[in-house]
Amino acid sequence: MLRSISSFLICVALLLATEVSVRYFLADNVSGRFQYGYSPTAGVVYESDGTVKLVRAGGRTYRPQSFKLKRDPGTIRIFTVGDSVPRGPSLKGAYPYILGQILNEKGIKTESFNLGTAGYGVRRCHVVLKQALTLHPSLIILHVNDSNEYEDEREWNRSQEFKSWAPKNWLMKSFIIRRLYEIKTEQIFWPLLPDVVRNQKDLNDFDAKLAALYNADKEKQWDALVRQETEKSVETVVAAHIPLILISRVTARILPQDGTPHLEKSWLNDFCESLVRPGVYHIPMYEVFKDQPVLPLFADSAHMHEPGHKILAEAIAARIEPLAREIIALQEKTP
Amino acid sequence: MSFTSWLYPFLLGSTTLLYWLLPQRGRVLLLLGVSYVFYATWDPRFLALLIASTVVDFLGGLAIAGERRPWYEVIILPWIPALWLTLHQASFVWANSGKPTGVTSFATAIIFAILYPFFYNQIFQIAEKSRPRVFLIFGIILQLTLLGYFKYFNFFCESLSSGLQLFGTSLSWTMLRIILPVGISFYTFQSMAYAIDVYRGKITPCRNFTLFAAFVSFFPQLVAGPIERGAHLLPQIENTPSFKIDYLRRGMRYVLVGYFLKIYVADNCAILADYVFHVTKGATTAPWALLGVVAFTFQIYGDFAGYTSIARGSAAFLGIDLIQNFRFPYISRGPSDFWNRWHISLSTWFRDYVYIPLGGNRGTRAEVLRNLIMTMFLAGLWHGAGWMFVLWGLYHGLLLVVYRVTPPLRNLEDSTASLWWRRPVSALLMFILVVFGWAIFRCGEETPAAFISWLYSFGNFSGLSASKPFVWLLIHVVPLLLLQSLTTSECDEARIEYLPQWARCIIYIILFLLVASSAVTDQEFIYFQF
Repeated sequence: MLRSISSFLICVALLLATEVSVRYFLADNVSGRFQYGYSPTAGVVYESDGTVKLVRAGGRTYRPQSFKLKRDPGTIRIFTVGDSVPRGPSLKGAYPYILGQILNEKGIKTESFNLGTAGYGVRRCHVVLKQALTLHPSLIILHVNDSNEYEDEREWNRSQEFKSWAPKNWLMKSFIIRRLYEIKTEQIFWPLLPDVVRNQKDLNDFDAKLAALYNADKEKQWDALVRQETEKSVETVVAAHIPLILISRVTARILPQDGTPHLEKSWLNDFCESLVRPGVYHIPMYEVFKDQPVLPLFADSAHMHEPGHKILAEAIAARIEPLAREIIALQEKTP
Repeated sequence: MSFTSWLYPFLLGSTTLLYWLLPQRGRVLLLLGVSYVFYATWDPRFLALLIASTVVDFLGGLAIAGERRPWYEVIILPWIPALWLTLHQASFVWANSGKPTGVTSFATAIIFAILYPFFYNQIFQIAEKSRPRVFLIFGIILQLTLLGYFKYFNFFCESLSSGLQLFGTSLSWTMLRIILPVGISFYTFQSMAYAIDVYRGKITPCRNFTLFAAFVSFFPQLVAGPIERGAHLLPQIENTPSFKIDYLRRGMRYVLVGYFLKIYVADNCAILADYVFHVTKGATTAPWALLGVVAFTFQIYGDFAGYTSIARGSAAFLGIDLIQNFRFPYISRGPSDFWNRWHISLSTWFRDYVYIPLGGNRGTRAEVLRNLIMTMFLAGLWHGAGWMFVLWGLYHGLLLVVYRVTPPLRNLEDSTASLWWRRPVSALLMFILVVFGWAIFRCGEETPAAFISWLYSFGNFSGLSASKPFVWLLIHVVPLLLLQSLTTSECDEARIEYLPQWARCIIYIILFLLVASSAVTDQEFIYFQF
């Protein structure tokens, strides 16, 4: 009797087998997949042999890195938390890696890890930062930006979407179906349809939020949020007695008058300066680059080419070298 | 309750299970109960209308056949709508601790309950020879009054007011806030067709009220068709064969294809069509104007054919076969062929109950052409209370006339022609004509000015790029065309049983995943508003 519906049964069996396989064999990859950066583990995977792997911070991946959770004595461990700017053009071409190289060349044994993830704003950076504090850091670098709050909010909504166990969400509990839905949204819906078409009506809750982007007060709210969350991050690191370096972003712009590129100081400059206190340092990117030619260093208004990362790494290294030596000396005194 | 509601699969699943566990009589009662619950989830008050429509044609059908029902039945049955409204109002007052609101509808139901038995008895007083005809006219008048009031009252008032303004006279009245009961055009037409078929002697009248009520309200096709005929559906509800696993197979296939057409094709094409016709009100650029109307062409097909497919699948789970409503209309060779493939249950309804009674193909050429135009005028009006819908109907009427009086076009539509190029050329020409018609139709939901703006858009070539949205359209239309190419011989997207099992499995998985990837947009079916 079941032969006549065998095609349907085979389909159901195949889909179930795929679902189970994905969840079993790709467990690390699947973990936190639909939390879009709001997973409490922030995509950090602890292996049984004491190795830590940086896998996936929600929908996005870290630069692949792994290390032993236990830090070697006499070594300083630096984590750089931020968005696509510190993430850089490649792992070795970004300033966190170059910073590690420079310090090692100066005889300071350094492990420098890049926790930059594209599109991360202050809220998701805070989740990563909290996780970084559990990885025995000697120093944290927080790259402060104010341009990803929209994505943070959108991704938060996505992480909440389909969360309930109401029957209408049952299909989206399946990894492969949810992933397919996500691919369609990210790879087809967003790139192919212009905003005016997508925002024509509230296709779903997420799109209602997208429409809110056009609210004039939104930007002010987001700036206030950047202040609030950055202050929270600073307090968290200070409470853990870990030195913190704040890097405030700079914007490269073309002057409309004569078409020449120039750098623009961000309001974050003054804001980060106001957060400086014992254990908290500030390196404004504006100060680092103000005497440098813009075009060979910047790829766009925010992102740098490798030479730009090198200059920033050198500036950070110069600033933290005494601090790093101090930290190592302190480590040697206190086992 | 919509087919796209997450509740529907649960309703269908539990109904199917219970249906096959119950004896025959229980099945009819179950169908009736589920159908009424299904309908009441939109607005419980309108269940009274459905019941009134059922009562009119149940008693009317028997009276047409010369059978006078017992006095208590003639008195009690018309009271059911009023009783239902009383229960509804009582529960409303109890739940909201407020005053009853639906006084007008309640008063109308009381008047119906009092007057219907009176007229019923009066008609039985007249001569036996003319009695069936009078009962038929009486029934049709009641059904059309129902439809006319809820669907066309405000439209006619507005049109009359606008017309008088042209002659310098103005009428000031307040438009009534009339909510269109979902599916009213479908069930009144189904019910009327039954009465006319009884009058013509094509079917014997149903003597079981429960069975007849289940026929009128059969939930898979209640709100958007297909419009069934008594001769086809009534015997199937009355005598269900024993359970076969084949019912589940057919049901699942139709339901899957239906959801693919609705959720994947229609709802995604709607994003483009709504932008062009609703957001910009037709005032856009040439590429967008074209994109919007082509998107709507596939949206309306996916929407309506998808609904029909889910309806057929749902009925198939219960061992009931509903008629095919679409047969690949976009490959039609001409307008006659198009109407043999598009909304078949409605076009055959108009053919049998309007076109042929008007004279059909009999009479002079002028009379035939007049019959065509009048039929299509009414078909347009059926689709919506607006002049753009009327214009759309007349446009199709005109196409039928032009194809009929122009020999080259008539030859192009001729299916017996052996010239190989005729088929693609005729299909392409008809597709373009149909697409243009959909622009008129879509503007019926907006304003006539939107259609003018849309036409003017073809002179504007600068603005928002349409190349990426065109890819979006292709992504959602090409899978449909591929599925159709696999089932061309059957003219039914769900008929893929001739394929080997592995091919069917691949198709089912792809369809399921395509539906699942689009499962969040929550668009209602277009034809619910008709």
